[in-house]
Amino acid sequence: MSRDSIKSPAATLASNLNSSTGQTGKPLTITTLVSVGQHPKSGRARVADQDAKALELALSLSAGKGTAAVGKGEAGAGKSQINLIHAGTATAEQQLVLRGYLGMGVGQMRVLKQSDGADVIPVLVDAVRKSGSDVVLTGSRAEAGEGSGMTPYLVAQSLGWPMVPAAVEITAVGSGEFEILQALPRGQRRLLKVRAPFVASIDAAAAEARQTAWAAGQRGALEHMTLSSNDDAVLAEAAVEPARKRPKRIARAKKAKTAADRFKAATAKSASKGGAVLVKESAEEKAEAIYQMLLSQGVLKAR
Amino acid sequence: MSDVIRKDPRKNWILRNRLHPLHEQVVAEMNGPAAVVRGPSGLIRKNPHAVGFIGPNGIKRIDRLGGSGSAAASAKREQQEEQLPIIAIEQPQSYVVVVVDAANGELSAHDRDVLGQARLLADGRAENTAVVALVFGALKAALGEAANPDHAFGLAGADRVMLFDDECYAGFAPEQQLEAMLAVDRQLSPVNWLFPDTHLSGNDRALRLAARLGERPAMHAWQIKDGKVTSRGGSEMTDITRDLAAATAPRILALASECALPVDEARYEARLLPLPSVPNAMVRIKDAGAVAVDPNQIAMGEAEFILSAGNGIHDWDQFHATAAALGATEGASRVAVDNGFMPRFRQVGATGTWVTARVYIAVGISGAVQHLQGIGSCEKVIAINTDAGCDMVKRADLSVIGDSQEILAALKARAEQGAVAVSEPQQGKADGESNHNVA
Amino acid sequence: MLESVIPWLLAGFIAVLVAGMLRRISLWRAGQPQQVNLVAGLMAMPRRYLVDLHHVVDRDKVMSNTHVATAGGFVASMLLIILVHGFGLDSVWLARALLLTTVVMFIGALFVFRRRLNPPSRLSKGPWMRLPKSLLTFAATFFVVSLPAAGVLPDGFGSGVLAFILLAGIVAGLGEMLFGMGWAGPMKHAFAGALHLAFHRRPERFGGGRSTGLKLLDLDTSNGKTLGVAKPTDFKWNQLLGFDACVQCGRCEAMCPAFAAGQPLNPKKLIQDMVVGLAGGTDAKYAGSPYPGKDVGNAKGSPIEVITEGLVSQETLWSCTTCRACVEECPMMIEHVDAIVDMRRFLTLEQGSTPGKGSETLQNLIATDNPNGNDPQSRSWWAADQNIPLMSEKKEADVLFWVSDGAFDMRSQRILRSFVKILKAANVDFAYLGDEERDSGDVARRLGDDATFQSLAKRNIATLKQYKFKRIVTTDPHAFHCLKNEYPDLGGNYEVLHHTRLINELVAGGKIKLDALTTAGTVTYHDPCYLGRYNGEYDAPRDVLKAMGIELAEMERSGFRSRCCGGGGAAPITDIPGERRIADMRMDDIRETGADLVAVGCQQCTAMLEGVVEPRPQVQDIAEMVAAQLVEIEQPASKREVA
Repeated sequence: MSRDSIKSPAATLASNLNSSTGQTGKPLTITTLVSVGQHPKSGRARVADQDAKALELALSLSAGKGTAAVGKGEAGAGKSQINLIHAGTATAEQQLVLRGYLGMGVGQMRVLKQSDGADVIPVLVDAVRKSGSDVVLTGSRAEAGEGSGMTPYLVAQSLGWPMVPAAVEITAVGSGEFEILQALPRGQRRLLKVRAPFVASIDAAAAEARQTAWAAGQRGALEHMTLSSNDDAVLAEAAVEPARKRPKRIARAKKAKTAADRFKAATAKSASKGGAVLVKESAEEKAEAIYQMLLSQGVLKAR
Repeated sequence: MSDVIRKDPRKNWILRNRLHPLHEQVVAEMNGPAAVVRGPSGLIRKNPHAVGFIGPNGIKRIDRLGGSGSAAASAKREQQEEQLPIIAIEQPQSYVVVVVDAANGELSAHDRDVLGQARLLADGRAENTAVVALVFGALKAALGEAANPDHAFGLAGADRVMLFDDECYAGFAPEQQLEAMLAVDRQLSPVNWLFPDTHLSGNDRALRLAARLGERPAMHAWQIKDGKVTSRGGSEMTDITRDLAAATAPRILALASECALPVDEARYEARLLPLPSVPNAMVRIKDAGAVAVDPNQIAMGEAEFILSAGNGIHDWDQFHATAAALGATEGASRVAVDNGFMPRFRQVGATGTWVTARVYIAVGISGAVQHLQGIGSCEKVIAINTDAGCDMVKRADLSVIGDSQEILAALKARAEQGAVAVSEPQQGKADGESNHNVA
Repeated sequence: MLESVIPWLLAGFIAVLVAGMLRRISLWRAGQPQQVNLVAGLMAMPRRYLVDLHHVVDRDKVMSNTHVATAGGFVASMLLIILVHGFGLDSVWLARALLLTTVVMFIGALFVFRRRLNPPSRLSKGPWMRLPKSLLTFAATFFVVSLPAAGVLPDGFGSGVLAFILLAGIVAGLGEMLFGMGWAGPMKHAFAGALHLAFHRRPERFGGGRSTGLKLLDLDTSNGKTLGVAKPTDFKWNQLLGFDACVQCGRCEAMCPAFAAGQPLNPKKLIQDMVVGLAGGTDAKYAGSPYPGKDVGNAKGSPIEVITEGLVSQETLWSCTTCRACVEECPMMIEHVDAIVDMRRFLTLEQGSTPGKGSETLQNLIATDNPNGNDPQSRSWWAADQNIPLMSEKKEADVLFWVSDGAFDMRSQRILRSFVKILKAANVDFAYLGDEERDSGDVARRLGDDATFQSLAKRNIATLKQYKFKRIVTTDPHAFHCLKNEYPDLGGNYEVLHHTRLINELVAGGKIKLDALTTAGTVTYHDPCYLGRYNGEYDAPRDVLKAMGIELAEMERSGFRSRCCGGGGAAPITDIPGERRIADMRMDDIRETGADLVAVGCQQCTAMLEGVVEPRPQVQDIAEMVAAQLVEIEQPASKREVA
């Protein structure tokens, strides 16, 4: 297959661009909900990877790959606005992390300060509702705490908006309509169409977030708002402890009725050790052998 | 004759005792008559080649137990698979619903694990509880009207099946699927909703259902034990354990793969249940179909098929052409990148990208430690190299020794002529989501 | 007639010179304030010029003598000209002295002329090609003009046509020497250079001292100041002055590893671009080698424009390995690396545009205290079987072993283990920090992220404060440099040793005995930049090698002229493409000596050199070599346990 025949997803979308404005021609308002992440190795608070990618998507959507295509006169009207909202305890240490989002190039963030273990959904919904947003972007799963991935769904449910999971690219195609590329496993993509307003969660496969500029983050403003909140009763009841290593499933001790069989099954080595080596065959035969393996693995895609 | 081997304790005793006067005779009897013969001169001749048998791994074994051990084992293997019993649940009083992925119309290994877990939950209840498999989209093997114990669903432990194979459930249709799940929830009021915790299918459905019903799900659950469910928290750093008997117990569970063993000791009916009436959802998310992706646009870490180039490549145009012909994502070793032939983001290895490809072809890469580390989780590695002794060949599942230029040329030619022939059977996979299916 | 014109000409040119100087000074003063001791600086200037600067220039004997003759001749001539021709002092002896100085200057200028006949590529052309002719003209003209005053020729000798020729010579000579000095001609270097020496930002460098630690960045963002250098006026005023001192001799260019590798950096051009920036304009008049792969003439800037938007590309700044070869080589003692890191600070802290894996590395440093995002709790895993006392348990030790990030790298761990073996063999009372240690901040700082550097450094200092130790020893020259030269700014003052120095001490003190290494073949030694040029440690590693009976086959570029391995300044992280790899070039240097083994004193160098495709000489850290040659020393009988 020649490379030219396949359009990259970006190119497919770019050709459809014409405007980045919302439904009624008013500038687009994009809200990004961000959380305080957790480094998977050190457990230290950090800018959450997917949330940063959501903000990156918001920034590129507002810088509008689209607006460039709009005439100069409209450019001002097409300039969209980004709201950055965080709800949580916002301790001093966490605020340092939150400044990391500001350092990506947003002037201010609304920080909805809550008590520890409080339910963030009602305050987030309220804040989004008041912001007059067209698009709400979030990460797919929080890095700290329960990390169930419910937040975008609950926000969408409360607002009555559609919820699009695993977005990697969002482009405005005009009159309130958006095209969203959704990440499927193995780098495959699906195109979805949805009208604003909507909520989308961002997949880990989305474009890497831009670097945060420390000084810009320091200068940005955190607008605090302390809110009363309900405690999370469910999680309070649950036992939370450091993750245990998952036991490895013993290779199919299926019909193993005897101890010897079970032992054999548990210690069996994978069959792939020591592969075949072709030396003397002709190049065609070697190629054929490779080709057959590719076929058997199902990686050769039809055109 | 019965297959059951009967032991003769006396003969065994003689076999073990080489000094027994009847020893020779019994050995000859066990190992076959040719082992010991009286030669023409009247001398007793032992034929050492006739003693023993060739074991399964090609090594000759001498069995002083008189063949009872190995013969017994092989005899067992020859036995026909025993028929699993059929367990039928006639009048279910409650239900456990499993929304299976069944991508491509077949149960995946993950689906079977979740069904196995559902079985455990259902069987652990006091009242008659049925496992209902809920499927969106058509099945490959059709289900009959009556019981289907030999269907994949029956073997996997489903008592009932609800098949939503209408056109409106196909593709990415989360809103309509949610309506169907809500209708099922109203009709059956299941005690548990189980989902395989899979990207975009089970995970998305579980979250949608939970959000709509206003329930707190247990996502990323990996173990249900002693009436408690344990799920992984954010960054896989915590285990959150909840009591399934508590008032706040999660009813909706998204389960990780290998959460439980699949069912393998009984067959179940897998009877089709009549579908409830499902209202038409307001479809606001429109699926415009899969987008053709240039293999070279796929992030290295995600690509499933990588053709990787090292120091042994001299004709780079040919390499690119071959990658294009195979539809492979291009990768490179550090040296190839350092020498400027490939961009840095293509570098595979501990210092570059850790790849997870199903098939990784290393052309002219000898296999530095860092590189081998980076391809550690690749399923099949194919090495094309001039040096049969290099580390990459040791790692590879298939190694081809020879001039890379020649072999790539042949491979490219083979791919170009072969693509037409294989395009038919491969069609299904092109738009499939994941291929975890058990054959 | 001439006699009456010359004083006016002189006065006129001097007035123009002063005006030019004042303008130039105003350009410098647009920079940021920086405290200097004006009087002490000016007083110290002649010594700095005659001794310190001369040491650098003297590496090229011919050029050194040429410059002494030319410059000395010119300065003396100019003074005498003012006396003899300006004030008309009627002294035969003064005039004869003037004759002598012009002759000296003439001879010097002849050598300048000779060098310019077939100039090496590192030298800038353009106006610099004119300079020897101007020098000759100046010297010759004033020689002839002064002949009557010296009584050699009768008064009134210069008349008629000759007078016009001489007049033209005087105008041309003074034009180059005085007008050019004030108004950005080649002679600008004399004026700016003299002041640069007087007000140098690192006065410690004079008198044999060393000052290599980067300056601390004020992280206060509330006063509206940008962090780092965005515009030329964001440099300190004496940095701007320093740029103006450049003579475009190109010695930096000849030494720069990035330039040789075809990466888009040329230290000389960079300094000249800074000059363009501080004065405003374009680089069209620049007549030296360009940045590899980039044409001259497209860069333009002004004191208030952002440098990386039109004057210098970002890749240029990120190509630098901070090896300090340029600084070491610069006869004007210009600080290239400071300027580059200042501009990197702006790019990283204000713009967030660190290239390559820079952003990822910085995030890792912030979240895990090590550049590769390893679990900080796994830092001491390498030592699981080493039984090294932990500082947190021991609280006090003679030597604190600073492990650095090699702890996470399997290759570097071999070096660490070897060194531990040596320490144990010598019964050194030592301990290490284990998981309490953090990255020294070296990489963050070279990447321009001083916020992360300061955060790491402050926490490291707080950790070190809890314990009592006499000295810190480390196998990593980068950490060595940070701890020794950059932590004092944050209140951490330690005696820091490189492991080769400690090993050398142990050998000299008879604490360890080494077998002769006879099987290694030819051995050469690669000086790590951060050990050699940054810290002047050239002898200890060589002494240790000598103690093993190794006769070094020195590379042409060794000692202070050692070529970088390409691993410094976070260059492997930013990864700016070039035509060659610096490590490959260094390996070629090594191969030239016919070495079978190259001894190194830095894990980064080891990694870079071992990354060169085989076949190549073996690479070993000195600690590994020493550990392999350790001989057990007979313990005094009293200490032995009776079996």
